[in-house]
Order: sequence, then C-alpha cells, then structure tokens
Amino acid sequence: MGEPKDVGFVPADIDAELVTDDVDAPEPKSSWRQTASSTWQFVKSSWTNHSYIFVFVVVVIVYAISTTMNGKKFNTGHISSILSSQNTVIVGTMAIGMALVIITGQIDLSIGSALVLTTGVTIVVFNVTNSIPLMILAALGAGAVCGAINGFLAAYVRIPPFIVTLGTMLIYRSITLWAVRAIPREVTGSGSSQFSMLSSNSSYQAMRMTFGTSKLTIGGFEFPYVTMLFLACLILFVFISKSTKYGKAVYAVGSNEKAARLSGVNTQWIKASVFIVTGLLVGVASIIQASKVGNITPASSGRSYEMYAIAAVVLGGIAMSGGRGNILGVLFGALSYATINFIIVSIPALSADIQDTFQGLVLILVIMVQTAGPAIRERFRGRAKAVDAT
Amino acid sequence: MDILRMRGISKAFDANQVLHNVDFTVAKGEIHALLGENGAGKSTLLNILAGVLPGDTGTITLDGVAYPHPSITQMEKAGVAFVHQELNVINDLTVSENIFFNHELTRGLGILRAQEMISQTRELLESLGVELGPTVKVAELKTSEKQLLEICKALHADAKLLILDEPTTALGNDEIAHLFSILRKLKEDGRALIFVSHKMPEIFEIADSYTVLRNGELISVGAIADVTPERIVRDMVGEQYADKDVYTVRELGEPILQLRGFSGVGFESVNLTVRRGEVVALTGLAGSGASEVMQTMFGALPIIAGQVFVHGDSVHGDIPRFMRRHVGMLPTNRKENSVVPDFSVLDNIMLAEHSLTGSHPVIHRKPELVRFGELKQTLSIRAQSPDDAITSLSGGNQQKVFLARWLNIDADILLLDNPTQGVDVGAKGDIYAQILDLAKAGKTIIINTLEIPEIRKVSDRCVVFYAGHVVAILDHDAINEHDVMLYSTNAAQVGEEEE
Repeated sequence: MGEPKDVGFVPADIDAELVTDDVDAPEPKSSWRQTASSTWQFVKSSWTNHSYIFVFVVVVIVYAISTTMNGKKFNTGHISSILSSQNTVIVGTMAIGMALVIITGQIDLSIGSALVLTTGVTIVVFNVTNSIPLMILAALGAGAVCGAINGFLAAYVRIPPFIVTLGTMLIYRSITLWAVRAIPREVTGSGSSQFSMLSSNSSYQAMRMTFGTSKLTIGGFEFPYVTMLFLACLILFVFISKSTKYGKAVYAVGSNEKAARLSGVNTQWIKASVFIVTGLLVGVASIIQASKVGNITPASSGRSYEMYAIAAVVLGGIAMSGGRGNILGVLFGALSYATINFIIVSIPALSADIQDTFQGLVLILVIMVQTAGPAIRERFRGRAKAVDAT
Repeated sequence: MDILRMRGISKAFDANQVLHNVDFTVAKGEIHALLGENGAGKSTLLNILAGVLPGDTGTITLDGVAYPHPSITQMEKAGVAFVHQELNVINDLTVSENIFFNHELTRGLGILRAQEMISQTRELLESLGVELGPTVKVAELKTSEKQLLEICKALHADAKLLILDEPTTALGNDEIAHLFSILRKLKEDGRALIFVSHKMPEIFEIADSYTVLRNGELISVGAIADVTPERIVRDMVGEQYADKDVYTVRELGEPILQLRGFSGVGFESVNLTVRRGEVVALTGLAGSGASEVMQTMFGALPIIAGQVFVHGDSVHGDIPRFMRRHVGMLPTNRKENSVVPDFSVLDNIMLAEHSLTGSHPVIHRKPELVRFGELKQTLSIRAQSPDDAITSLSGGNQQKVFLARWLNIDADILLLDNPTQGVDVGAKGDIYAQILDLAKAGKTIIINTLEIPEIRKVSDRCVVFYAGHVVAILDHDAINEHDVMLYSTNAAQVGEEEE
C-alpha cells in the first residue's frame, strides 16, 4: 500500500508551495488555474519519481506506430506477447533481485550463469523424481546456494562484488557445461549439449503444457501463467521494499552504510542477503525457463542476461549508486526493454544484428534524459537559493 | 633578522571578522609557536601567508620582499612550505618520486633521469639524518616517516620558512623526539619554522618564541623562556566570560554505567562510574582518546581489555547488544555517520527501532506517525511533515532527529559525540537546553566535546583525556576553561616538572 501514499503526498506539498507563492499575490488564483497548475505539478513530480512509466508509454506508442506503419493492426495480442516474452518474465524476475543488489550499492554479474546452472539442476531433479514440489525445492535451493556464495564472498570476505560475481559468472556456467556432458542422457533428457524436460514424465503435461505455455483469458485478453508468477514476485518485493523493516534496511545500507551500522543495522547480513534473495529469484526464473521453454543449453542460454537485467533496473529508474529507486520500476523497465526488442523485430528493414545497437542507444538516451533533467532543475534551484541568501 | 613580517592583517568571511589587524613576525633561525584555541584565526592567518586565501588588509614581507597579492605558486617560489596536518604524499609512488613529483628531472621527450633523482634524494635524506630508502614505496612508510618525507619535500624545494600544522598528533614519543632533532638541525641551518600545536610540553621543549591569537586578535608575543604554560593558557582562553548558567543541581540516581580498566583503540585503563540522570563531559584534544572511549562503549570499536557495565551487567559485542541495553550514540560528523540522505525524516528516526525489532517485520505507519508526533513535540523538531527529506532540515534540526532516533528505542544512556559540530550558535543553545531537560527526565548523558564553555553549562562532571589516559576528573564547580585547557594540553605536568 506504499505506492498510493507516495503519490498522495505530492499534491499536499504542492499546496504548501502554492500558499507561499500566494503571499505576494493580492488575489487568490482562480480555481481552474490552481487545478491546472497542480495537475501540471503532479505530472512533473510523477516524471521525477516514476519516470519509468513515461518511458514505457513512449516505447509502447513507438511500437504501435511501427506496427501500424507495417500495415498491421496493433492489438492486445501484441501486448500479450510482450508480457510473455523471455525478456519480461525471466529477465524481469531476476531483475527484481538485481534491483535489490543495486540498491545496496553492489552488483551481481553472475545471474545469467546462475540461471543456467539452476535450470540444469531443476530439469535434472524433474527428470529423476517426476515431482513438481521437489523440482521447485531444487530450483530455489540451487539458486539460493549460488546467491549465498556470492553474498558470503562479497559481504563477509569483503571482495568487491564486481569481482566476486565476475568469478562466479565463469564458474557457474563452466560447471554446467561440464555437467551436461558428464551426466547420462536419460537424466539430462537430451543429447550432450542440453538439459531437457522428459516428456515421458507424468508431470510433464501439468508443468510444461499447462503452466509453462498456457494463458488465462480474462475478457478477451490473454494472460500467460508464467507472467502471473513474475507479477506475484514483483508485488511481493514491492511490498517487502516499502513496508518491511528488512526493505528499509536494504535502502539504508545503500544510502549510507556507516549510518546504518551505527543505527544497529547488521550491514554485512543485509549485503549478503540481497544476493541470496537474488539467488531465490533466479530459482523462480529457472522454473519459468524449464516450464516455458522446456530446456536449456549451457553454452548459449542466458548469455548477457545480467546485462539485460541491469538495463531493466536502470530503465526502471533505480540509481546505480544505490539507496534510491522503486521496485515497481523493474516491471516497467523489463517491459520497456522487451518492447524495444519487438519494435526492432517489427521493422523488416532492420536486420536482427543491429538490434543491440538500438537497445544500447535507447538505454543511453533514457538515462541521459533522467540524469540531465534533475541536473538542469538543480541549476535553476541553485540560482533561486543564491538569490534568497543575499 | 626577521624573515617574515605580516602587518595589520584583517580578514572577514561575510559578516564574520576572523582576523583583526594582526601582526605576525618570525625571525631567521627560530622555531615560532603559533597558539590559540580552535577558531582563534590561526589557520586563516597561515592560509593568507601561504597564498591560499587573500587577506582583506595588511602587508606581507618575506625576506625583505613585499608580496601585495600573494598566490600559492608565488609563495612557494619565495620559499614558504606548508606541511598540513593531513599528509599530501602519494602512497603508490616511491620516496624519491614523491620528492621530485611535478619537478622531475628529465631528458628530452619526458624520459626520467631516475638514477639521478634517486642519488639526489639519498643525499638530501642523509643530510637530514632521515633513515629512509629513496626507492621505498611510500605506502610502506609509517605515519611519522611520511611526515618526515613531507618535510624533506619542502626542503627539496628549498623552503626558507616551513609551516608545520600540528605535526605531532599522529606520532609516538620516540618519533616526536626524532622529528624534533631534525627540526633543531633545520633551525641551525638558518631556516625558520612556524609550529602550530596544542600540546604545551612540546611547545616548551622546541619553540623559541610564541604568538597567541584569540578570537582573531593578537594577544601576546614573546620568548618562550620568559613565560609559563599557565600564562600562555590564560592568554589563549581569556578572562572568564560571564556565561548565563542554565545548569541546575539535580538529584542523581543509582550508578548505571561503569567502566573498569576499560582499554580500546587509542585509550587505556579508563575507570569511570556514571549515575542515572548525570551529565558527564569527556574532553581532550583531537587524538586524546575521548571519542574512541565513547565509540567503544557503544560497540562501534572493539574492547581490548576491561569491561563496561550497563545496569550492572557486563556488555560486550556489537552495536545491537548495546542498543538492547538502552544505550544510544549520536556519532560525530553527522553527515557521514548519521544522515541517511535518501530517507524521509520519519524513516531516519525509525531506523534504529527497526533494526531492533526485526522479529515483527512489517511496518505499520499509523503508530509510527503517532510516535513521530510525540518525539517532534518533545524535541521541538521543526519539520513540516514526517515525509520531508532529512536533507531539507537545518543542521540543528537534523541533530534533533537523530536524538529522536535514540529516544524512540527508549535509550536511557545517551552518548553524544561532538553534538554541536556544524550547528549554529542559536541551535547549540537549544541542543544544550534539551540535554539538560533529558537529564532532568532521568536520562544519563555523556558528551564528548572540545568546547569548554559548553561543558560548563551542562555537565555535572568533566573527564579530561590526554594521550589516551584520564588526567583529571573535575566536578561542576571546578570546571573552568583555564583548568580544562591546562589538563588537556598537559601543561599542568610541565609546570610541576619545572618547579
């Protein structure tokens, strides 16, 4: 319930500003001007605090235009495919963890490799046991272990997180590459290069066909089940970040670690725990990967996912310097990033090779607007203050 | 013959006059002590001399040459070298690279003449009796050696006038003796030194003459041989101002906090018993250990030996253990150690309580708002809304927010480390009034501060530290600026030795 509260306070602030403004004005401003001005202030402050929504809206509009220009009709099917794309559900789920890690002022480069390892474990456990609960447990367990190793080394051994997770990024993927060749075919479910869900298992139907690839139709709109899992994680972590003491501690550590420690926060544990949480979310993502795709290729799957997740976090308005940002932004960041992909694919003249160039450009552009905006405002505010002081 | 003559120097920052018409003269071949309390104007005067700040009025003559508008490079060329308290050596370079930094000897194309620089460095070091290898990485040197390196750097630039700003604060006794032997050698070479220190024994050991500043005015000048430490201290602090006394005698409760043989980083075997409702001030110069004692009895620094008893139980371990015993600490340097800049006022207050009550993980806003209302009233915090950014409040108000952080966990022992730092005069009075109110309400308060007049206003007792040891514990009536200064500069000891 934190979200409406934030927005609710904005108009209150504006009223206060207006009152001070009115001290000089002999007549109170006419009510329509007041309404117009507070609406404008509301839009302005939303831009400051929730600019990721605007980014997403702009990206979707561009997508709609590009689709229409290609002679197709933009409809809910397009939205549905954005919602169920790999970049939304799998990268998005992991990006929630990445957001927490970044909020504490750290970074996790290992999530793409951890996804491969965890999905490997998940599929193997499924193939061997044919049990959905055990599969879920294995996914979460393997993810948590991957995260705990990162967290222990970063927070307690005090190796810079960039280095720790660069190392584990290499380790997790290479272990999986080795394992896929070493483990017998009937367990990996496929040849020597892939882990694959055994379709002969009786639970295959429920996991893969029903949960993994089906959609729930609500009023003509198709809503994939895997997307619901992603959204459930998102809502959970929006709540945790806004309304729990743990969430506040995560922000406090990123904002001023010394002050947090001197207020009794166990800063080492907080810094380690966000990696474990990220590991658990990698576990969730690997359940989605297993049931949505049905297999994983250690050599190629999940490559650069850590970079996509960072991009989603940044597009979601979370500061790389830590301490600031809204987990809800991750939803819009991931959706925006996925949509940019669709835009590029929808323009036939563009080759897929050029896709990353556009993604990179959009990323830089959006961040430029976000960082330049406050800097320009600050300059004006600074001037106003200087005048006040004299 | 005088090497330096500064005449009629005045300087104001906005409306604040920090130097009034000050004269300052240093003779060739002497060590001149520049003395005064914090804020007396010493650093402003030296910064004007070094060309860092422009003076408003006055003239500077160095070696017979007048410098109407001195700049840093001009004064460096003229032979003024400033060795700052915080050292400016580059850790990743060698000794010789540091000495030649930015003045490297090169052949064409910027290629270094490394051997030549090394041999020149060796000569310089030998001539001073400094035992340092020219090719040693500076990172491997001790603080005292870095200090010597700074001095060598200044001499390499052929400084005639060396300014040493509190050069001994980080040094041990042997290291100080070594430094002094080098300073004496420099003096014999005919160089002049300006020596800034608060430690009376050192001044009486090394300096030839002195100048005392107080509130930006020149108070006294003379030869060290003609003066006593007591006299200098009196010149530094001035006559007692008739302070409005807000202090009241209160009934004190049972002993609530005890230190026994308490040792930690920077202090040794401290014994102290504090009673409920008492206000105790710890004081001492920077590096005396007073701040460290406070941090150690909050779990922020490790206990090396001895024990701290809170409510009769020995407590050790990390910060939350002390917090659970209702101990709270307002650390020094508010911006660095207290402010969570991305948090609202409310979240800043609640941070400590949240970290103690993690077993109830969900935050309920309504009771927090009620609590905020109470704390806001008790401490008269001027914040419009609990959701205001902490950074929008003034320094004094922020400090109240951090007091509220501890009152919110019902801390009944409050450790305040330099609580009025960076707070303007009006708000200071406010904070001290609040401290007395809290004491009346049964809170036990320990303050670490260097501002002696403030100690007198609020504290029942004053514990004076020098070099990690308690040198005196004064009762309220015995607290006066003169005596506290005497003890904290260890001038009392010099006096005894001379008799």
